[in-house]
Amino acid sequence: MTRGGGENLRGWLLASPATLYLLAFSFLPMLIAGWMSLHDWHLLRPQVFVGLRNYADLLENPFFRGAVWNSLTFAALSVPLGVVLALAVAALVNQPLPGVGVFRTLYFVPAVSSQAALAMVWIWIFLPQTGLINWLLAQLNLRLGTSAPTDTAFLSEPAYALPALVLMFAWLGLGPRMVIFLAGLKSIPVELHESAGLDGASAWQRFRHVTLPLLGPTTLFVAVTTTIASLQFFTPVYMITRGGPRRTTDLVAYHIYNEAWTKFELGMAAAQSYLLLAMILALALAQLWLLRRNLAEEQA
Amino acid sequence: MRPATEPEGVGRAASQRVAICLCGAALLAGCGREGRGDAASASGAERAPIVLRVANWSGPANDSGFLALERAHREQFERAHPGVRVELEQIPGLGQFESKALLMIASGNPPDVIQLDCSSAAVFIDNGALLDLTPFIARDSTFDEAGFFENVLALTRRGDAQFAVPLDFTPMVLVYNRRLFHERGVNEPRDGWSWSEFRAAAEQLSFQRPDGARQYGVNFVNWTPFWVTWLWNNAGALVSDDGRSARIDSPAAIAALEFLADLARCKLMPTPTGAATAGVDLFRAGRAAMHVTGHWELIEYRLDQLDIGVVGLPSNLPQRQTVVYASSMAVTRAARHPELAWEFVKFQTSAEVQRARVATGVAISANRAAAAYYANDPLEQAFLRETPFARAPSGALVARYGVCEELGREMMEDILSGAATPLEAARRAAGLMNAELQR
Repeated sequence: MTRGGGENLRGWLLASPATLYLLAFSFLPMLIAGWMSLHDWHLLRPQVFVGLRNYADLLENPFFRGAVWNSLTFAALSVPLGVVLALAVAALVNQPLPGVGVFRTLYFVPAVSSQAALAMVWIWIFLPQTGLINWLLAQLNLRLGTSAPTDTAFLSEPAYALPALVLMFAWLGLGPRMVIFLAGLKSIPVELHESAGLDGASAWQRFRHVTLPLLGPTTLFVAVTTTIASLQFFTPVYMITRGGPRRTTDLVAYHIYNEAWTKFELGMAAAQSYLLLAMILALALAQLWLLRRNLAEEQA
Repeated sequence: MRPATEPEGVGRAASQRVAICLCGAALLAGCGREGRGDAASASGAERAPIVLRVANWSGPANDSGFLALERAHREQFERAHPGVRVELEQIPGLGQFESKALLMIASGNPPDVIQLDCSSAAVFIDNGALLDLTPFIARDSTFDEAGFFENVLALTRRGDAQFAVPLDFTPMVLVYNRRLFHERGVNEPRDGWSWSEFRAAAEQLSFQRPDGARQYGVNFVNWTPFWVTWLWNNAGALVSDDGRSARIDSPAAIAALEFLADLARCKLMPTPTGAATAGVDLFRAGRAAMHVTGHWELIEYRLDQLDIGVVGLPSNLPQRQTVVYASSMAVTRAARHPELAWEFVKFQTSAEVQRARVATGVAISANRAAAAYYANDPLEQAFLRETPFARAPSGALVARYGVCEELGREMMEDILSGAATPLEAARRAAGLMNAELQR
């Protein structure tokens, strides 16, 4: 065996555990789900091949269309908020201040905590009468709509339930996004800021014209992964709103769960999963294309 | 064959490897499924115990006393059946029992015995997941069907086939706060009262309290099992009896929905948002005087020392109607120890075990003898009085009813929030339910 051949083999051997894992637990289930999506498959009944009928039915289904709309709205609200918030926090904890490491850790805590447990915390935060946000509104004597200052039922009012989940999403993923931005910020040479400062650039100008362009690839990565995460958002919906009130938080991932485990329609749920995959791919590719074009323009 | 020149150490190592492999194989064999057979075929403690798998929805959230009782009953059964070990498989999680139990069955790994919530029994029965117990009942002289409440037993019957034996049940009733009635000088309701009498009482019991909070005549929980009886008591229904079409858009059902919408509009009962805003259970907090519910809530009311009365549901019909919610024990079709499973079902539903199980107050025993044991309590009597008026929940008869219940809940949300009139919401819901029922 040649030296190159031996190295190839060693490389494959080293990669094989991860490759096998991906094949067994990602690609194979995906293929099976694709096959399931072509069947009328109730959990306890024999499956019947129906071709693309599940997909055709879904395009006509007002509830699924509603869930897609909810997911897109959720992504449109949560991705910019999540990215901007993470960048702002990363910029803050990038300052050479005493004890800043503690803050970095604190911001990361939600990412390593149980989402189910955190959902319980957020239920309390949004509670009417005794919840933190209503308490703050009462302190500021602010009214939302016609409610008394402490009476807004954020999780039961159709107008507020989705924004409440958006807020939670931005907070839940703050830690990992912050860490990625922090790595991006650390990789920017200090000399660039110093020379811009010597040329008379203000702090904002340095951030806008030095930091942001150099963070382009990082922002691209964070934006794409945040979009994917927002379209797969499930646990807090399941734990807190269960798709309500009035289906305003019925996001696609939760809709798929219901199709599979409330209606036991596994074929239809698999078809929905594939449509969600298509949606994620389309949005991620569109983002990549847009951000790369912007980067190219800025570099030019 | 080992070469003659092979060093002894190598031979010893090879022997050790073979021994390890054999031990491993033996261990794996031990982990495998044991052969099909019942206690009768096992010779007591000499052989590996027969494992009887029993799935229920108990869990850490349950009262620890109840779990201890369950354990004691399990041990009692094991003592009576030497060589048998009962393995309780508790499936906790709100609303997850059916899906997880169905998944166990569909994946070919079913428990022998399964506890059924009869309001979703049709999913199991109509999909062939359960064993017909009629042959066991026919040849077992120690089991008496007549010892159970007939309308509760009938929940899991299809023709002549009996698919489960009931453990306990509750009819839905109207519970009222006696103190609030007395304070407002309102006469306590009596069985057989009408909707107009109910509404008049609700009006007298609703007012703005000096502290600014709203006092409601009646509480409302937007969960279809809690309000479907309002449709029934006006000769309406959510779906047809055969489960093939929606009935929520019938004139009688729409009139019932308008009645409820009017109660909310006149602030005699809270809207779902109003109830959520209160942040408390309005009935338990003394801020709603009446509440439609089942026996299980008596546990909390007793803890709260609420002075409550229980009365039949108000009705527009000559004879009132209510629904019975029950839990049962069934044997899965692919049970590995069906005879033993039947013995366990019989044991759990026996008067002796039932008397201890329902002592917590969670429900009424479906076993008449056990129910009679508690019948001196006036509240128990009130529940027992309603039992003859109790119909099967549609979920016991219609496999896809769960989806209709959810659509009903959404419809009610639309109505009570003012997003749609009862007519609009009911017509829309009927269209969606029909699409589901005819799938």
